Parts: sequence; structure tokens; C-alpha cells
Amino acid sequence: MRSSWISRLPSFLLVVFTYLFLYVPLFVLVVFSFNKDPFPAPWSSFTLDWYRELWVSTELWDAFKTSCIIALSATFLSVLMGVMLVFFLMKSVRVQRILGIFYANLVVPEVVLAVGLLSMFSFLHVELGMRTLIIAHTVLGLGYVIPVVYQKYMTIDPHLIDVSMDLGATLGQTFMRIVMPLLRPALYAAGLLVFIISFDDFILSYFCAGSSAQTLSMYIYSMLRIGISPVVNALSTLLLIISSICVMLFCYYNVRSKLL
Amino acid sequence: MKNHWIQKYLPFTLGSLSLVWQALFFYVPLLCVIVLSFTGDTPYAAFQGFFSAVYVRIIVRSLGMAFLTASMCLMIGYPFAYFLVFHTHRLRNLLLFLVMLPFWTNFLLHICAWFFVLDRQGLLSYLLQKLGILSGPLMILNTYWAIIIMMVYFYLPFMILPLYTALDRFDQRLLEASLDLGATWWQTVTRVLLPLTMPGIRVGFLLVCIPAFGEFAIPEFMGGDRTMFVGSVIKHLILGAESEVAGSAFTLISSLVLVIVIGMLYLIIGRLVPSRYEKE
Repeated sequence: MRSSWISRLPSFLLVVFTYLFLYVPLFVLVVFSFNKDPFPAPWSSFTLDWYRELWVSTELWDAFKTSCIIALSATFLSVLMGVMLVFFLMKSVRVQRILGIFYANLVVPEVVLAVGLLSMFSFLHVELGMRTLIIAHTVLGLGYVIPVVYQKYMTIDPHLIDVSMDLGATLGQTFMRIVMPLLRPALYAAGLLVFIISFDDFILSYFCAGSSAQTLSMYIYSMLRIGISPVVNALSTLLLIISSICVMLFCYYNVRSKLL
Repeated sequence: MKNHWIQKYLPFTLGSLSLVWQALFFYVPLLCVIVLSFTGDTPYAAFQGFFSAVYVRIIVRSLGMAFLTASMCLMIGYPFAYFLVFHTHRLRNLLLFLVMLPFWTNFLLHICAWFFVLDRQGLLSYLLQKLGILSGPLMILNTYWAIIIMMVYFYLPFMILPLYTALDRFDQRLLEASLDLGATWWQTVTRVLLPLTMPGIRVGFLLVCIPAFGEFAIPEFMGGDRTMFVGSVIKHLILGAESEVAGSAFTLISSLVLVIVIGMLYLIIGRLVPSRYEKE
């Protein structure tokens, strides 16, 4: 095999360029959040004014709160329901057959689901708002949670569950004391994934939110429509930091879930 | 007696909660789209409007954009993932983390970031002028180019991650064996590497194509809302014009077209690339 570095040079360059492609825009975005003059002007001087403006914007905080509530509820609901599906149905049905039902969530375009949900809600005269968004994001989350949890569940020794039941634990106790601790890393990983997907989701929120709830994505969208303002940059910088923390945690739990 | 009943059925009920949820809020809405499409004045009224040249062109344009995006992502992503799996050792986790990070951040934020690069007074324009490649400012925003760049940028991680997983499972010794046994480099790639990593390619292609087909925010911002795509039409019909019947009908038609085209593509690729190793 030709293993000299010359033969690797093209692919090495490709990798470098891809990382530049991925990160230069983000870098520029972050840099301009500290620039005193708004965008078309070049760099003038360092300032934190835009962050201060962000800090006092009540609309932003409302949107942030809405996004957090929705993402947390969707995460909680989808993880809880996903775990219960895997654990309780495992006894009576072969879950693998059921899993196919949930793969559709990843394959159907989000716009189609959004249109469907919107028409169903309006047909039933359900008022659009946070509740409908939580419902929609939970559906989205189930598609990610169930495969992750199922994979982890398959690695648990089934004898552990049998032993626990034989020794007199109820099904509920076995679930809480044996299965949940073993699944924990996978649950954290799946939960983080759902949280960030819900937090960043735009299409479903845009269709199913109505006029009462505004998520962070929708807030950014409306700000972008008006034009670029350094406030958006400041907000983006903060979101980037939040995302990095989430990804780091995700990687950590994902690795642990594979090791344990 | 009552207690016994609870003990018998409670686990099953708890377990099926997500199934009920999935049925109610996923499959029923999809049915709604189908049913609603046929509730015009006459059953097919909603569809008639869409068999015109304008809408056909929009669907074809969206399909073209989705496939172009997916192919470009594949061309960049495959060698990239290959390098990451086989030629990085200690840095691999960090590099993978850096690929995942954009995938986990709000995509509107990426759009915003690209404004700074592609704008007439943006970074790219500045650099090209400094280097003397361009004499005037770069006018790329509001063109197809801007949309394609943005789409490739946004969907690249969706392609790289499944490719990475597929290549990670691939045994590199197979390549050496193939080369040792006298296969040319090209034969090794087309007969060994590609067939064995085909599942990853397939998943990546789907993950990029499907959302790219329905995308409306990227064309709206990068294309200046001048060129219509499937996503923008759906958004306009449902939210703008408040004509749900027409909107559902168009959603139905365009999704069917997407499904049929992807299905046909898979049949063709399945014929071209020998897939007998896949079953392993």
C-alpha cells in the first residue's frame, strides 16, 4: 500500500478545507458579535454592547424560556415513553418488529409532518401554542430515543431481570432499580439529542406554534428577516457555546454507554 | 380483584403509551394530509391546479437541488470520513466532535454566519478582491450558488456521520488484501470499498435528500425569495394563502414524487454496484 505522505496530501488538504468551510463562517460570526459598528462596516473596536442589549431584551428571554420549556417537556416525555416501550413491551411482544413504526419519523420530511399536524389541530379546533409544539417535538424525539434506548437495552444481560423478578422484586422495582441505572448513560445521550433537536427545531415550530408561542428559532428567524444585526451575532455566539456543551456531554455519555 | 387487574394490564398500557402517541400524532396527521387533499369541490379539484408547467418546474427544481446537494456532500464527505477513520489517531475524537458541533447548532445561525461571508462586503468578496481575482464586489447572494453553498454546508454533517460509522466498521485489511491479490486501485474501490460501505452511503443520501427537498428557509434567505422551491410553495399555500386543501394536495404530490424518484434511484444503484457482500 502506498503510504507515503504525498499520496495522502490531497485528502489531507480536503479535510483541512472542509474544516475551514465549516468553521470560518462561524468564526466570522463570533468575531463580529464583538464589533462596535454593525456589519457592513469593517472591524473598529471591541465592545460587549450587543450582549448587554441581548441581556435586557424581554422578547428574547420569553422566547428562550418557551424553547426551554418545550424542549425539556418533549425530552422528558419522549425519553420516558421510549424507555417504557422498550422495557414493558419487551416481555409480551418482540419489540424489534415495532421499531419500524418509529423509523418513519426520521424518513418523512418534517414539512409533511408539520402540514399534517397543523391540519389535524385545526380540524379538531385545538388552539395552537406550547402544548401543540410539545406534542410535535415529542413525536420527533421518539424517532431518535427508541433506537438508541433499544440498542442499549439489548446489551443488558436478560438474566439480571429474571433474577430480580425471581428474588421477589415487582416489575416496577426491577424497572427502577435494575434497568434504569443500567440504561442511564444511554438515556442521557438520547435525552440530550432530543433536547437539542427540539431546541433548534424550526420547521415544526413555524407551522404548529400559532401566534401565542414564540420559540428561540422563530425569534431568530424574525430578526433575520429584518436584517443582520450584531445582536443576532451575540445570540448566536451564546447558542454556539450551549451547543458545544451539549455535544461534549453527549459524547461523554455516548462513550460511557458503549463502555459499560 | 381490582389490584390483580392493574398488575396484569398496567405494564402493557405503560409500554404502549408511545405507540398510541405515535399513532395519534404521527400517522393520523399523515392520513389527514391525504384525506384533506381530496376534500375540494370535486375529489380531484385540488390536484388539477398542480399539473401545470409552473409546479412541475418547482418540483423538478427542488429534486435537482436535493440531489445536487446530496451528491456534493457525498463527494466531499466520503474522502473526508475516510481520512478521519483511517489516517487520524489521537485527534480523531476531537475532529469528530468538530463535525458534530455544526450539526447540533441552530441552522438559522449558520444562515446568519454565511451572510457575513457571501455578502458584497463580506469576507469572501474582500479576500477575492485583495487577491486580485475579482475586480468588483462579489455578487453571489441571491443566486443559486449561494443556495447550493449553504445547503452543502448545512447538510454535510448529515452525510459525514453515517459514512463515518460505515467506514469505522470497515476492515482496512481488506483493501490491502485486494491490492496484494493484484486488483488495481480502481477495482479495489469499486469492488471492495464502495459495496461494503454502501449502507452508509445510502443512509447519508437519504438523510440529506429528504430534508433538502422540503427546505424553505435557506432558499428564502440565500436566494432572496425569488426562486420557489417545494418547501416555499407549501409554506405559502398553508400559512400565507390559508388554503389548506391545496397545500395538502401539493404536499402529497411532491412527497410522492420524492418517494418514487428515490426508490427508482435505489433500484438503479442496486443494479450498478454489486451488493452481494452487503448481507454480512
